[in-house]
Parts: sequence; C-alpha cells; structure tokens
Amino acid sequence: MEGVMNSAIIISILATGIRSATPYLLAALGEMFTQRSGVYNLGVEGIMMMGAFVGFYATLHSGSPLLGIVASLGIGGLMGLLMALVSVTFKAEQGISGIGLYMFGWGLSGLLYRLYVGGITSINGLQLVKIPLLSNIPFLGPIFFDQNVLVYTALLLVPLSGFILNKTSWGLNVRAVGNKPEAADTLGVSVERIRYECLILGSMLAGLAGAFLTIGQANMYADNITAGRGFIAIALVYFGRWNPWGILLGSLLFSMADSFQSMVQVLGINFPYELAVILPYVVTIIALAISFGRVWAPAALGKPFQRGTRG
Amino acid sequence: MKKVLALMLAVLTLLAFTGCGTTTNKTAETTPQAKVEKVRIALVLPATVDDLAWGQSMVEGLKAVQKTMGADKVEVATSEKLGNPVDAGAAIRQYATQGYDIIIAHGSQYQSVLMDIAKDFPKTTFAYGSGFTTASNIFAYDPQAQEGGYLLGMLAAMTSKTGTVGIVGPMESGDAVTYNSGVQQGVTKGKADVKTRVAYTGSFNDIVGAGNLAKTEMSAGADILTGSSQQAVGAMRAVAETKGNYWLSTDMDQSSAAPDTVLAAQAYNWEKVVTKIIDLRKQGILGGQHLILSFADGTIDLKFNPKLADKIPAAAKAAVEQAKADITSGKLKIAVIKK
Amino acid sequence: MSSQFEGVLKQIVVLLSALVGALLIGAVFLLLAKSDPIKAYGVMFSGPVSDKFGITETLVRATPLLLVGLGIVISFRSGIINIGAEGQILAGAIGAAAVATSLPDMPALFLLPLVFLVGGLSGAVWGGIAGWLKARLAVNEILSTVMLNQIAFQLYQFLLRGPLIDSKEASYGSGVPQTAVIPQQIWLTRLVPGTRLHSGLIFALVMAVLVYVFLWRTSTGYRMRAVGAGPEAARYAGIKVEWYLVLAMALAGGMAGLAGAVEVTGVHHRAIEGISAGYGFSGIVAALFGRLHPLGTIPASILFGALLLGADMMQRAVNIPAAMVMVIQGLVVLFVVSSDYFLKNPGFAANLRAKLFGQKVDGEGGR
Repeated sequence: MEGVMNSAIIISILATGIRSATPYLLAALGEMFTQRSGVYNLGVEGIMMMGAFVGFYATLHSGSPLLGIVASLGIGGLMGLLMALVSVTFKAEQGISGIGLYMFGWGLSGLLYRLYVGGITSINGLQLVKIPLLSNIPFLGPIFFDQNVLVYTALLLVPLSGFILNKTSWGLNVRAVGNKPEAADTLGVSVERIRYECLILGSMLAGLAGAFLTIGQANMYADNITAGRGFIAIALVYFGRWNPWGILLGSLLFSMADSFQSMVQVLGINFPYELAVILPYVVTIIALAISFGRVWAPAALGKPFQRGTRG
Repeated sequence: MKKVLALMLAVLTLLAFTGCGTTTNKTAETTPQAKVEKVRIALVLPATVDDLAWGQSMVEGLKAVQKTMGADKVEVATSEKLGNPVDAGAAIRQYATQGYDIIIAHGSQYQSVLMDIAKDFPKTTFAYGSGFTTASNIFAYDPQAQEGGYLLGMLAAMTSKTGTVGIVGPMESGDAVTYNSGVQQGVTKGKADVKTRVAYTGSFNDIVGAGNLAKTEMSAGADILTGSSQQAVGAMRAVAETKGNYWLSTDMDQSSAAPDTVLAAQAYNWEKVVTKIIDLRKQGILGGQHLILSFADGTIDLKFNPKLADKIPAAAKAAVEQAKADITSGKLKIAVIKK
Repeated sequence: MSSQFEGVLKQIVVLLSALVGALLIGAVFLLLAKSDPIKAYGVMFSGPVSDKFGITETLVRATPLLLVGLGIVISFRSGIINIGAEGQILAGAIGAAAVATSLPDMPALFLLPLVFLVGGLSGAVWGGIAGWLKARLAVNEILSTVMLNQIAFQLYQFLLRGPLIDSKEASYGSGVPQTAVIPQQIWLTRLVPGTRLHSGLIFALVMAVLVYVFLWRTSTGYRMRAVGAGPEAARYAGIKVEWYLVLAMALAGGMAGLAGAVEVTGVHHRAIEGISAGYGFSGIVAALFGRLHPLGTIPASILFGALLLGADMMQRAVNIPAAMVMVIQGLVVLFVVSSDYFLKNPGFAANLRAKLFGQKVDGEGGR
C-alpha cells in the first residue's frame, strides 16, 4: 500500500463519511417516525428519487438551493400523502404499496427529467458553510463543522427527533399508535391521523434526503441517482432499533466504512476491489450481530388498523 | 381459494378483452420496401440515451449516419434501460421479428442473448460490443480504448502539477479494463514518477459514488482525473468543482457539460463503424467480423478542448501528437496488460 | 353458491376497475409525453397475449417470478421477511453454473439434478445466513438481507470476471464477465421452437404444488405457519421457533436459488451479468398479489410477468422514454393493491353508489 496515512487523509475520510451519511440519516430518521407509528414504507427509494429530481429542478430554475430544499420537502410530503392514502385509508398490504410507490417514483422522476431537462446539466448546489470558531478546532473542525447546511440539519435532527418522540405528547401518541393502536384509539387518539402525519413527515425527510444527493453532493441529476440508498436507509432503521441515536450510529458506521474502503482502494490495494466495496455491508451486519440489548419492534408494525379488531 | 379463482378469471377476462383489441403488426417480416432502399436500425441500450458516455456516443453516431445518408434512408429505433438480459432479449427478438435490418445491442453483456437469437434470424445483422466473439450474422465491435487511454495518460502525466493522476472506475469489466490499462501505461511513459490512483465504485451507475471517489482521489493528491461508464459524469462534476483540477473523457467529448474542466477526450466514431456495417451488409456480409475501433482507421479520435488549450504544456501536446501518429501508423502498439 | 359466484365476480370487477384507474392516471403522463394512450395501452395489453412471442415471453418471466414468489410465501408464512432473493438468485446461478461447467461430460440424468441441487443449496445457504443471524443473534432480517444482497452482487461479479470466467473470454484482454456455456445435455428443453419458453415452467408449477403440500399437509409446514401466526404462542406450545426461522429463510433462499439455476439452464445457458433481473423484487409483488398462497402465486406471476413484458413492449411501440414503463407499473401496483379495500368494505361501495345516484342510504352498513 503506497502512500502514508497522514492526518490530512484521515480527516478527508472522516469528513467524507459524515457527508455521505447525511442522506441515509435523513431518510432513516424519517422512516423511523413512520415505523414507530406502525407503518413501514418501502417506497423511500422512490420518494428520494422524486426529491432528488424536484430539488435539482427547482435549484436549476431558480438558482437557489434553498428553494430546492423546500420543493423536495413538498414533493416528499405529497408522496407520503399518497402512501398514507393507500396504506392507511385503503389498508393495503404495506410491502406491495411501498414497492409500487418505489416504481412509480423512479419512473416519474426519470420521465420528468427526460421531458423537462433532458441531458446532463450541472447546478450550483449547497455550498460549504464553515461554522465560525468551531471549524477551527484542529482535526474535529474540518470534519464536523465545514459541511453544508443539510449535513448540520441532519445531525441536529438526531437529538431533535429523540426529543419529539420521547418528550412530547405527539411523540407519545406516535409510540402508542405503533405499539397498541386499540388502546390509543380508546383514549381518543386518531390512529389514522397519527399515521398520516408520520408517513408525511417521514416522506418529507426522504424527499430531503434525495435532494441532498443532487444539491448537496453530485450537483447534477441522472437516472438512478439514489442507487439503492433508500433501501439501505430502511435497513438502518432496523439496525438502529427505531432509535435516532442507533440510526446515527448505523449511518455513520456504514458511511465511514465506505469512505475508508474507497481511500484504501485509492492508496493502492492488492486484493480484488469487490472485497473492498462490500466492507460497509459486512461491517454493518457484524456490528449488529455483536451488539446487545433487547430488540423490540413497534408491535403493530405493518398491520392496518381496524377498529373493533385486534389491530 | 376464492381469490385464486378470481385472479384466474381476471386473466381470462383480460384475454377475452384484448383478443379483439388493437394489434400491432409485429408478426412476420414486413415486406421489403421496394421503392426506397431504407436501412432499418434498432439500438438496444443498457442505460439511457442521454448518459453523456457509452450510450449517448452511439446515439450521436447513429444520428450522424442519418444526417449523412439522409433521414429517409435510415430509420433508427431505440430502446433504453435494458440492462436486464431477459428484457433485452425480448426487445432484440421483437425488433428482429419486426424486420429490422441491423440490430445493435450496445453492451458486452448482450453477447449471450445475441448468440441465442441470431440463429433464428439468419437474414438479420446483429452487432454488439465491446467483444470479439462473432457468428455468421453477428458483428463484434471492439474499441481499443487502451489506445486513447494511453494518449490521455501521457497527457495527464505531463500536465499534472501534483504528480498524481486519478482513475475512477465502475467495475473491472469490458471497456473499463482496457481503458484503465492504457491510461496507466501512458502515465508511466509520459513521466515515470507520476503516480496513478485507481479505485472502483462497484457499480456502473452510481453517480454520487463516482463523485465521492473523485473527491477521495483528489484529497490523495490527484489533480487530473479520468474514468469511464455513465457514472463518470459524477466524477467529472466533482473535479469541476475544484479549481485547477482537470478531467479527461472517454467514450465521447464531455466538455459540453464541463467546458472549463475537460482537457481532452477520447471519442469513438460510431458513425464510421455503423456505416461500415451497412456497407458490408449491402455486400451480403451479415456478420462474422471483429470490427476494431482504433486510431488507425479514424474510428477513434482524440479531441482537445480549445478553451483549455493553454493549460497543456507544449511539450506534452507534442509528445501526445507524436505518440498518436505512431499508434495510427502502427508503429506503436498498446496491449492490454491485466494485473 | 350464487353468493360465492357473486363474490368472485365482484373481485374481478374491482380488479378491473383498479386497472382502469391506474391506466387513466397513466394516460395523463402519456399525454404529457406526447404519446397516444390508446395505442400505448393497446400494445401493453395485447402484446403479451396476442401471439406466440408474447405468450412465451410472459411465461419465461413468470417462471422465475413463481419460484421466487414461492420462497417468499414460505418465509412470509413463517413470519420472516425475505427481501434477499436478489442475492439468493445470484448464489444459485453461480453455484449451478460452476458445477455445470466443471462436469461437462456427466450425463444429463445425473448432471441436471446435481446442478439444480447445488443451485438450490447455494441459495439456501445464502438465505440461511440471514435466518441464522436472526435466530441466534437477533439481527433483523430486513437489515441482513439488504446487506447480503449487495455482498452477493459483488461476489458474483468477482467470480464472473475472475475464477469462473469463460476461458475463451479470459484469453482476450477485456473479456465479457460470464462463465463458459453449460454443457448442452442439460439445456432445458425449449417447449416451443423459436421461442425461449423452456421446461423450467413445468418445474416451477410442480414446485408450487409441492410447496402447497409442504405448508398445508406436513407437520413441518404446519409448525412453520404456527411460528408465523404467533411466535410466542408457538414457543409456548414447544415449537423450536429459532430452528424454524432458519429453515424458513433457507427454504426461501433455496427457491430463489432454484430460480437462478433455472435461468442458467433454461434461458441463458451460462451465468451472466444481470441474471437476477430484478426478480428478487418482483417476486415479492407476485407472492403478495397471490395472497401468499402457493397456488395463487401461479396466476399472479403470469399476470405480473405480462405486466412487465407489456409495459416494456409499449416503450418500443410508441417511442416513449423507458421511465414511463415504471410509472405505469407502479400505478398498476398501487391501484390494484388499494382495490382490496373496496372488497372488504361493501359499505363504502354502497355509500359511493348512493352518493353518485342520489339514493337514500339505508343505515351504515359494514365498517
């Protein structure tokens, strides 16, 4: 292995890891809310693609990435509404409706791109924002405090969503609806409304995660830009055991491992690159396998709620 | 069980409905056009028509053929996003049944399905690439990507200020293998102490991943980068964001998307290749030839970006031009060296 | 008797209405793309059923969908979710191809079953890993299978371009990543000459019956369904839940592995890139459309295969971007899966009818 692992390279690996973790973190936190309320949304990948396109398109035509962010939140919310209609009101099998939404989102984003953009186009996305003072801390500064606003948002969302989930009455309702919907229902909580809200919130975050890819990383849009990240985000919800800090850990672990293996490749390795590429996936499984703690899922996950039956 | 019955009845109902629906005329060969000698070409792509790389370069080549020969003489139909070999096989078979004269399956992964289908359509010309295995009615086209890679590698080594060149690879197959091999050899020849950093994303269309790899390579010191496949544009864009770093394209000239970043490009001249296939077909040769794209017959070009001409040292340009002449004349042969 | 017929009829009506709904919305997008919806849909529906090509191609797709779907049925019924079929198909394909190409002279009588056995076992092992991780180490199967899919993909690529590459390709600089052609004696019989329809279809149909018998007529199958219905109750009844979870994932993986083996021996005659073709995913949809019943998965696979084929043919016929195909497929899935609601809620339909035609609503029926 040529080259020396100096501190500049280590900083680069870690900073890249934080940046790459952002879309997983955003989407997974969103899915966490959704699943905590008892619904699982496999359509995250499709919502991310729509968010990616809409965010890109809005930025392209307005010149403002902020508008792109708002637009992606909007389209995410719309798609969440659609998913809620199908899964909550129509009580459809959530696995299929999620996959249907995924196909629809993938197709629609590609179609709109072809019709209204057509061709590789660059945009000027989010710029790096150095946090004053903090970014001067040696080593930690450039890693954590020299990123774009969405990275900071995602990191702040971790304690924020923990707070919302555990310390607000809405959060309590969400958890109740996800665990014992019949009980929540008798207490006057509208199970359907909470699930709608969580699906929309979760999808908004998924849309934002998608927009991060186009306006926060690639600064362009192309077909299949998400490349499976939505599914990895869903998997990370399980890794994190529906807890925002666990999800943060999973996102960071996965992305850092990926960032690490690409640097290992770049510096010169003597074994097949395929083995390097699978590192993040292997590491994630091993990490979960060797961890302890009770595993419990929201008890009502995946089951549509019918008043009068054991939801 | 009731539901099973329902589904089965639904299928039957559907059949009943569509039995009297519209039909497309895709059975039997269409009668040959007596008046106008029209060549019907079908193109099957693994990715999209606008990927600014492998796929788009062929699409542009076919457009050029239409322009040169006249749009009324050449009909082109395209199907995209057929990376799945089952769907690709169905598409190719359908085109063949519809009487297309030349069917181009633009990807090395199509070799297997073509071998299967070509037997059933002896009068149709099939073509695929990159590859070398042919059949009586299958052409295999084979861009010698290592030639342009070599030249671009030389250019990179002699232009680089940091002494490090980066290659962003998708997977180690097909085009990427030959191209990367050429680049690495060229870098060594251009300036012996320049380092090459190679890394792979493990996928052909992870644009964000390619961009991340490019950034990693740049943080390891690379200031001139290159790469292949449709995700390369992601890497190119990442390079474009860093002032003073430059990109070298393959497949086609990508400077339209990054005019201040692309120094030079290896461009495949598919127009020449397709025209050759059309001519061979007129002579009754439907396949069986290994069509090599190389500098020697002009099917590969080296294009410099005029806007950035001043960024290339004169010595570098001269050396590259000389090497190009040597490759064209056959004096210099670049082999593909596998690790 | 007549009410049962009525029920079936209602299901068909609802299903067809769902399709119409999806197509109407799809037509909006088609018009946006400046295409003729009538022509497009004409192709999409008539294509897969109107001629030899269409029907055989539909069945070519239905075969692996059915096999994968059967595996999904087994796993879902046992309470474990298998979304790792993509990787398991690849495991089966490479196992099958490796054995087939290394024993070129073995007679078909021995080689074909061996190849299928190895393919099934490879998939079973890959699925079993996820099962074991869940049973022993409480690693959620959705996490592990998503990860294992990528791992399988990269390992498959590595084997295909490295140790298992066709020597013909390897001799040339940039060989196509694919194995050598498998021995001709085990190429599955093409049922209709000039098409790709192969005897794997019959194998899949037989497997569907076997899976039904296994799940509903054997004690092992009964226990697995018990675990799926309620693991705690099953444990209380003395059933070793962990063991059955592993078995379920192994069987599901095995079915997907068989799908891979079938694709290798029946369609491509070697292992190539992209051989899983998304069946790992579509198989889930097929199984769920088939109501997680092995026999229901048969028509569901055929229908879904027809949808996949028809939508793709549409791309060619009316010259629309390939993305449109996914839009329509997604809409169909969403609408069809929602239509269930109208079956379970006769009150809703009655209310709707009343509101539309101004009839009096006589009491709130149903939910």
